[in-house]
Amino acid sequence: MSLPPPIKKKLGRIFEPKSISFSKEDLLCYSYDATGESHLPDVVVFPTTAEEISLTLKLANESGFPVIPRGGGSGFTGGTLPVSGGVVISTQRMTSISIDQENLVADVGSGLLTGDLQDEVEELGLFYPPDPTSVKFSTIGGNIAENAGGPRAVKYGTTRDYVLGLEVVLPNGDIVRTGVKTAKGVVGYDLTRLLVGSEGTLGIITKAFLRLIPKPKEKALMYAVFGDLASAADVVSTIIREKITPSTLEFIDGASIRCAEEYVSTGIKSGAEAVLLIETDGTLKSVEDSTALIKKICQENKVLEFRVAKDKKEIKDLWKLRKNLSPALYKIKPTKINEDIVVPRSMLTSLVTGVQEIAEARGVLIVSFGHAGDGNIHVNVMIDKDDPDEAKRGAEAVSDVFDLTLSLGGTISGEHGVGVTKAPYLSRELSSSLLSVMRGIKDVLDPKGILNPGKIFLSPSNKEN
Amino acid sequence: MENFKKLLDEAKKCVRCGICNSVCPTYNVLRKESVGPRGRVALIRERATTGDGAGFGKEFAIDLKACTLCGSCLGSCPRDVDVPKLILGARTAVVESEGLSVGAGLVFKNFLAPGKLAGLALKTASRLKRLLLKSSVGENGLLRRFSLPIIGKGRLVPNLADIFFLDRPEVKKLARVEAKEGRPRIGFFAGCGINYLMPEVGVATIKAVTDLGADLIIPSKQVCCGMPALSAGDRKTAKELAIKNLNAFEDEDLDYITTSCATCSNALKSVFLELLGDDPEHQERVQRFTSKVRDVTELLANELSYKDKGDKKEGLVTWHDPCHLSRYQGVREEPRELILKSGYAFKGMKNPCKCCGLGGGLVFSDYELSIEVTKKKAQNILSTKASIVATACPGCIVQLRDALHRYTPKDELIPKVVHVLELL
Ligand SMILES: Cc1cc2nc3c(=O)[nH]c(=O)nc-3n(C[C@H](O)[C@H](O)[C@H](O)COP(=O)(O)OP(=O)(O)OC[C@H]3O[C@@H](n4cnc5c(N)ncnc54)[C@H](O)[C@@H]3O)c2cc1C
Ligand code: SF4
Ligand code: SF4
Repeated sequence: MSLPPPIKKKLGRIFEPKSISFSKEDLLCYSYDATGESHLPDVVVFPTTAEEISLTLKLANESGFPVIPRGGGSGFTGGTLPVSGGVVISTQRMTSISIDQENLVADVGSGLLTGDLQDEVEELGLFYPPDPTSVKFSTIGGNIAENAGGPRAVKYGTTRDYVLGLEVVLPNGDIVRTGVKTAKGVVGYDLTRLLVGSEGTLGIITKAFLRLIPKPKEKALMYAVFGDLASAADVVSTIIREKITPSTLEFIDGASIRCAEEYVSTGIKSGAEAVLLIETDGTLKSVEDSTALIKKICQENKVLEFRVAKDKKEIKDLWKLRKNLSPALYKIKPTKINEDIVVPRSMLTSLVTGVQEIAEARGVLIVSFGHAGDGNIHVNVMIDKDDPDEAKRGAEAVSDVFDLTLSLGGTISGEHGVGVTKAPYLSRELSSSLLSVMRGIKDVLDPKGILNPGKIFLSPSNKEN
Repeated sequence: MENFKKLLDEAKKCVRCGICNSVCPTYNVLRKESVGPRGRVALIRERATTGDGAGFGKEFAIDLKACTLCGSCLGSCPRDVDVPKLILGARTAVVESEGLSVGAGLVFKNFLAPGKLAGLALKTASRLKRLLLKSSVGENGLLRRFSLPIIGKGRLVPNLADIFFLDRPEVKKLARVEAKEGRPRIGFFAGCGINYLMPEVGVATIKAVTDLGADLIIPSKQVCCGMPALSAGDRKTAKELAIKNLNAFEDEDLDYITTSCATCSNALKSVFLELLGDDPEHQERVQRFTSKVRDVTELLANELSYKDKGDKKEGLVTWHDPCHLSRYQGVREEPRELILKSGYAFKGMKNPCKCCGLGGGLVFSDYELSIEVTKKKAQNILSTKASIVATACPGCIVQLRDALHRYTPKDELIPKVVHVLELL
């Protein structure tokens, strides 16, 4: 569908010339996210106020065109792809920020980069813990819409746990504030929680009121290398069982390490089949105590090498290695099917070994890394999609991985969301009655289906799955 | 079209993760995908795939121009996508299919014959400048503000030198120097910045090098290094300039070739090789030439082992890493070592490698964006409370002076911007 000229003209009246673009160049630049798919929108707009968004949504309801919210475009499941054209609303210019140091609340525009918020609050001795590895190029709005999590989730939880309230433009154009600006609040349904993780299908977030906490004084980063997967998994279980709560507990498998090593030299031993990256934070005493304890647990579990990062540079290099992992995997194969499944922590060993069995059975390479501390593992099936046979085996392996995950009591997405790429699998996890409740919610808020159609639920009419 | 096709393989390496956007100076100012590396690569890829069928208009060229070629994206990309090279390639492809804009064409052609047209034109300009420029109250009276809005209102521009460096008698004397036992022979490449705008940096280089027991030879037939032409997509001119420079330095029996401009040293070291390395006629010569090139900061710190003289000087110095020195050449330690040995107190700034905003021709194509990029840099400088900013590139010096003039709060002293050699 392409937008008829009169509608474009009406849109032109809502926005200043520099905040709206029809140029082929801009349309192309807003056609993709990190999934590698590309669908051209008809228009891109760069609002600076909720009112502009409201007028756009009202027009969309009148004229029936799709509206797609977009933050940093770093999504892994295609949430911001304009699969049926329409107007992309880029929040990149809504970057206001104000910090209430007395109440420990940040009031921010949804387009603010999460990393910018963190820098700002940390200068004040405060802390906004959610840290998807994409912090430096993803937005608060995108993080909320996907309920992003990161390495620190094991101790601090995910984005959800820091959202006190939101300013949202509903699909009908109404501008509302959900939630509270206080530490507690129970009046009415918790629409804030509903909007968190709604992938831009229930409303467009314009502002967020976020909870801050004091910044931990000290931290230490350890890394431990293992010659087999099972020992690493045992360490994770033991750490959890011993009630040590590290601030991050990341797992990287041997194939990933070898790949990332190519551009950040860490000197990690060869023969490594698993690496754990463990951080603890708190007071000096608590950091020292848990470091000693973790070291002991590693030593009891056949660790090949154990080190505490000695300086800022080593810490930075290790994190860089972890952060660049996901794109670096393309060195192995041109196509990566990336799934971020979660299992109960006690099932980690079964998951990791089960995944390797699937890889062997299907004859594809699967590399895994991720947030072991909360059972959230990024499973990457590496294939060449131009090789039809391999592509088929890849898809089968993904399907097997989901079945395995669900059989272990897990979920098929821990943080990346459903978007378009996981929509076909939704009904495996959710019962039909749950799905119809969800569709009902969508229908109440967006009866005409103009807001981000084609996401989460399979067809644009939202009636399948 | 063919020229675009060549870029396809590199562009296809991009997996659109977006990591690079976070370090891009222009993206961070405008927050628009088309002026970030990921968008630029997507545009180039589309153009390379579909040719003119991409349906692009004038925005394409504008987006390509709005890049400082700082190289930050390359450093951050886990796939090693060489975005600056893609952008240069795309600019060249545009020029080859659509021609260079008339004004830019004239400028680069004229640089081919220094001392003739360019010299003449610039000499006239040197006389006219008093009409164009308003005096500024700025630091050491050297600087003036442009009053013409088209060039950027309130912009501080450097004065053209009254006598260009290469025209000075004491410099002309160094065109030929007898070889002397035990004195290394070092060829000096002045570059346009030093020749036309900052002869004092050239003079400081002569002094620093000769003080350390080496001879400096300044071949008179040298021309522009070619980077401005190449950045604008005029690869042909850049190549011609490179050959002229090879010729100019050929006859002298030199141990090293140095320059006090980071952009030039990068051009002499690697861009020449890239331009002429596959050309059978010049291959061997260019390899010999480039292997001798050292940025002046490297030469002083390493080959000539500059030593701390033990005297203490007044003032706090901070250091700005020029993109062409730190990222492109990986030279970071040497200049810092020189500052520490110079007798000044040193304080590093936050994010010293952040681009100054001038490069890639951005200062000419979009002054407003360019100086906005410099804002953050200026803030980082100002928060060190340093009284002197040292760097190693005339381009950065021009831009930082302009920005500090603009962004230093009224009641604070505007830090002085110098070439690190001027501290020694
Ligand atoms: C290298 C890399 C590493 C990553 N690591 C992690 C990780 O560790 N943890 C993790 O959770 N994710 C990770 N991601 C995925 C991605 O960064 C997150 O999903 C992130 O939250 C997306 O934010 P964004 O601003 O880029 O949103 P976009 O990609 O632009 O959009 C994502 C979704 O949010 C919606 N949306 C965006 N803004 C709004 C708004 N204002 N109102 C309503 N809806 C909106 C969109 O419609 C879309 O459905 C990673 C991605 C990459 C490329
Ligand atoms: S970092 Fe590299 S792969 Fe990622 S978007 Fe940028 S150029 Fe592409
Ligand atoms: S070279 Fe610099 S300005 Fe150009 S795209 Fe890369 S980071 Fe941005």
